[in-house]
Amino acid sequence: MNEVDNVGYLGIDVGSISTKGVVIDKDFRIIAKTYLRTQGQPIQSIKELLTKLSSQVDRKTKIFGAGTTGSARRLAGIMLQADIVKNEIIAHAIAASYFHPDASTVIEIGGQDSKIIILRDGIPVDFAMNTVCAAGTGSFLDHQATRLGIPIEEFGGRALQAKNRVNIAGRCTVFAESDMIHKAQLGIATEDIISGLCDAIVRNYLNAVAKGKEIKPLILFQGGVAANIGVRKAFERALEQEIIVPDHFLVMGAIGAAILAQEATDSKKTRFAGFEIADIPFQSRAFECEGCPNRCEVIETLKEEVIIDRYGDRCGKWSEL
Amino acid sequence: MKATFPNFGYETLALKTFLEKLGASVVLPPANTKHTLEMGVKYSSELICLPFKITLGNFIEALNRGADTLFMAAGAKKCRFGYYHYLHEMILRKLFPRFRLYAISQYTPYQFVFEKMPQIFMVSPTRVIYALLILLAKCALIDDFKCQLRLARVLDFNQANQIEKRAIKLIESANSISQIRRTRQEIRTIFSINGKKPEIKIGLVGEIFFMIEPFANQEIEKELSRLGALVVTKRSLFRHLKHLLKIDWEFYRFSLLAYKYLKDSPGGEAIRTVGEAVSFAMSGIDGIVHIYPFTCMPENIALEALEKASEDYDVPVLSMSFDEHTSRTGFLTRLEAFVDLIKRRKRERGR
Repeated sequence: MNEVDNVGYLGIDVGSISTKGVVIDKDFRIIAKTYLRTQGQPIQSIKELLTKLSSQVDRKTKIFGAGTTGSARRLAGIMLQADIVKNEIIAHAIAASYFHPDASTVIEIGGQDSKIIILRDGIPVDFAMNTVCAAGTGSFLDHQATRLGIPIEEFGGRALQAKNRVNIAGRCTVFAESDMIHKAQLGIATEDIISGLCDAIVRNYLNAVAKGKEIKPLILFQGGVAANIGVRKAFERALEQEIIVPDHFLVMGAIGAAILAQEATDSKKTRFAGFEIADIPFQSRAFECEGCPNRCEVIETLKEEVIIDRYGDRCGKWSEL
Repeated sequence: MKATFPNFGYETLALKTFLEKLGASVVLPPANTKHTLEMGVKYSSELICLPFKITLGNFIEALNRGADTLFMAAGAKKCRFGYYHYLHEMILRKLFPRFRLYAISQYTPYQFVFEKMPQIFMVSPTRVIYALLILLAKCALIDDFKCQLRLARVLDFNQANQIEKRAIKLIESANSISQIRRTRQEIRTIFSINGKKPEIKIGLVGEIFFMIEPFANQEIEKELSRLGALVVTKRSLFRHLKHLLKIDWEFYRFSLLAYKYLKDSPGGEAIRTVGEAVSFAMSGIDGIVHIYPFTCMPENIALEALEKASEDYDVPVLSMSFDEHTSRTGFLTRLEAFVDLIKRRKRERGR
């Protein structure tokens, strides 16, 4: 290892709604951190993220490992030539137990999914994810905020101004939305309705995602929705306990990926392609294979017009390049 | 007679031989594909379970291939599977003018050998017994093959896939007791490969159709071995047949083990699912994966019992339900996270 260089590890978490990235040093201190909207274009946002991160990192810092997570982890992993590609459950658990070694429960609510991770002595022992329904996740809150004409950043704060408790139907976003409209037509204050919605989201989470899990303190709340103070307070009311929102709650997945990258490159050389890939054209496209009635959807990734990855086929005839 | 029956994993080959031994010419439905499922979903009620939809799709595709006599298992004790053959027939009558459907009750072996089969195929009960013996022997062969395959897949995934193709050809042509015995030896020889020892062992339990048909369970066994986990199961058609003939001694043990969590059978194979899981847990397995169709009542009850057993024995359990809307990405993410969790846990404890 060259003494002049500062060691850095890159972690990227590409979710459905937002793309997060961090660079940490060898003691897991955050050197650079970025958060931006995916806007349905993961390739574009990964590149943008890399550009922003590299501008925050000084020239002496060298990346010794790169890890990716999130629903586009595979694509990001291929673009970056990441050392490790890991699911978001493990990534979140790793970061949570690093910052709060005594944490027992991690509540994570992102753009499209929500999960609970149970930790014992810093080791993830159990988890659950929402299965068929996206009720109460970030994108639903986003949609409701837009509908009510309130910026999402202020949405949670408005819930705290509620004077009365209003019951909003949970279980399904369709029911919740029509109930919210119904309550509004009755003349109930918007603040009360938003507060009711926060309660409904928490109720839905506890009944559907955390069902049957033993929620022990310390409880961490991570992911985009943790920014919403209304939901956090609703969790505290429902669980009758303090909920801790970590300092870096938005980028915990990315931090986990970076820590995993450090583990994976321990005494090995990184495969990371460098921040320069932000300037290289990447393309991703899908086609339906007509080889058999399975009609698998094959997804290929191209780097400078050359196919570097293909997956999605059941039989393996396309994925073997 | 052009006989057909729904695809049932590798065991399809044994059932085919059975019908051939009784003198039928068999028209198998094409291998399960997205098209099979689309056909099944199109003509089924939304909330019925995935096994119904897939088997209906199989019948439609087999009838299109010229089959005229359908065989469907019936009777499942308190599970709606028992009336699936009526529903199949009602739906198929509207689509195809000419076919016969025979429902084979699972719980009347005597009637099966001495009345039902002799009537349908105009053969003597002796011939039925002979065919049944071949069926049992071939099922045992397939059971053995699947065990070899599971181990080979963790040792060397790609090589195992090559050997699998060769082994299936061998199984296809084994049609007598002596051939079956020889094939068993041959398969063991071709499967002797070297590789990295599997880090963890995962027990697979659940509803029988999901345990046997890889298409239904999204090829979960393959995916688990790709993640480096050795899969073990105690479910197969061979064991099920033994159970029906009341000679599956291990089942009595499973019932005893399950008793603490399920006093009475809620139907289907719930007791067996719980019993197998407890038996795995007692043998010190690293984790248990429970698979079942969405809306399956017996397995949903088993799920609650498994959660309790998971606490008692400190074994992680992952329950997953499937239907035609199951997202493959979500499925793989859960599986990967579960395997990671078990590996990390094992490494920490090993220290």
